[in-house]
Amino acid sequence: MDAVMNALANFEYWPEIGTGTLDTLIMTGVALLFTVLIGLPLGVTLFLTGPQHRSPSARVARLQATVYTALSFIVNVLRSVPFLILLILLIPTTRWIVGTSLGVEGSIPPLVIGIAPFFARLVETLLREVDHGVFEACRSMGATTRQTIFWALFPEALPGLLSAITVTAIALIGYSAMSGVIGGGGLGDLAVRYGYQRFNTTVMIVTVAILVVLVQLVQMLGDHFVRRLSHR
Amino acid sequence: MIRIDNIGKTYRTPQGEFHALRDIDLEIARGEIFGIIGRSGAGKSTLLRIVNLLERPTQGRVLIEDQNVTAFEGEALRRLRQRIGFVFQHFNLLNSRTVYDNVRLPLRVAGELSSADQKRRVGEVLELVGLTDQARKYPRQLSGGQRQRVGIARALANRPSVLLCDEATSALDPETTQAILRLLLDINQQLGLTIVLITHGMDVIRAIADQVAILDQGHLVESGKVLDVFLNPRHATTRSLLADIGLESENGLTSASASGARVVRLTYQGETAELPVLSQLARESGVDFSILLGSVGHLKGTRYGQLTLEIKPPDEAGFQRLLASLSGRGVHFEVLR
Repeated sequence: MDAVMNALANFEYWPEIGTGTLDTLIMTGVALLFTVLIGLPLGVTLFLTGPQHRSPSARVARLQATVYTALSFIVNVLRSVPFLILLILLIPTTRWIVGTSLGVEGSIPPLVIGIAPFFARLVETLLREVDHGVFEACRSMGATTRQTIFWALFPEALPGLLSAITVTAIALIGYSAMSGVIGGGGLGDLAVRYGYQRFNTTVMIVTVAILVVLVQLVQMLGDHFVRRLSHR
Repeated sequence: MIRIDNIGKTYRTPQGEFHALRDIDLEIARGEIFGIIGRSGAGKSTLLRIVNLLERPTQGRVLIEDQNVTAFEGEALRRLRQRIGFVFQHFNLLNSRTVYDNVRLPLRVAGELSSADQKRRVGEVLELVGLTDQARKYPRQLSGGQRQRVGIARALANRPSVLLCDEATSALDPETTQAILRLLLDINQQLGLTIVLITHGMDVIRAIADQVAILDQGHLVESGKVLDVFLNPRHATTRSLLADIGLESENGLTSASASGARVVRLTYQGETAELPVLSQLARESGVDFSILLGSVGHLKGTRYGQLTLEIKPPDEAGFQRLLASLSGRGVHFEVLR
């Protein structure tokens, strides 16, 4: 116990830890924002072109099937590449998008590309689980697809969507730490540079502890909102 | 009001073609409660859903106020559906929204009323279905009957000219069923709304319908005024549906009765049903009879009765006198044996 206290008392990396935590929060936050902005429409498109929603018109149904198959394929490919490899594969793309593949900015594009397909699948599944009767009711009252999605399906799926965002945010925290391997900044970067390359176990442990706390906080926040919004 | 003209619906399945509906012709008059009844799989749900084109027929057309709506698509179809209320068996409410917001949804969809007018209209229909004090609750906090009232209020919000009810009471207990049927009858009488309902229970038809159509395996086997169909069912399916609610036919009973006895079926309705016909008859003619089968009751406020009697008259002349005195009292009869 004394050894731990001593180590922490003599710990000289608090400024780095502070910056690292802030960077992790920025990466995760911005990446989450873009993930939702891209993944939500993608998930809705998957849902609307999916097997359950084929139009009675053969022409439209064929179009739906083509779109679904193509999107589904891209989503599956992105999800099946391990994130670490995706990070490396995407370096040229990242440079093209944000001008660098390093630091906080350099981490965000691969994070979004890596996680948005996962989030899109969650959205698709959630929308499918909304009672089909609600969809029918909207059709019978003459609602457009847009009205149905925004006024009925999203409200019905909202608690689930918040859970999905929570899960995605936590996965992003984990992925953002991984981007430290290619110099991505944030807590993962610290852990790699000090903990791994310089054998500074204390930095490693403090980093891990902060990540654990972050994940806990995100989960608690998510659960809190889900509870408030459930009317079941 | 609604004309169903030679409607057919065929599904292509891996096992070949399946005819859900064949050559259905029906005419539904304005202000009428029209019941469509059949066993499960008879095609009644498909037929109802074809009326507002939730499903497309593969043959024939549906005319609503002389417009061929089967040709409608896109915006025109959405406008049409906004004018047709639809009530679902399982209510299909948004559980994430309050009663108020659920009922307001079709008004937002139509987008014709200002926010204040929408609010007023929601208040009106909630009052009509008796849920004014539940507006702020969520569907999950309500009973089944209350949820269906929300469903009905939602269907009425856009002042539809037709209300389609898909097994609206099948998920409810008997008492609640009666209350919901009374509500539908009230709405029909107060607003003059045409109601098309489908059901698998003759008790629902008996309680509120004016006209009834019986479907069996995609075919329309019988249709007409409820009273006529109840008193003179022609098709086996109709008889079996009537038997479900204790209104059996006399097939089999006739041959089982004692030899030498005559079997007569009496049918009466309206004022005749209020007279003590049987006891008068027995006193005057001195003939004994026993009741083989009978049903008496109300059909939408009209009293009716049907009795099948086994009569042992002393001779043929006595029997004829008995029949003559029945005619004199305005009782319709049919000698079965």
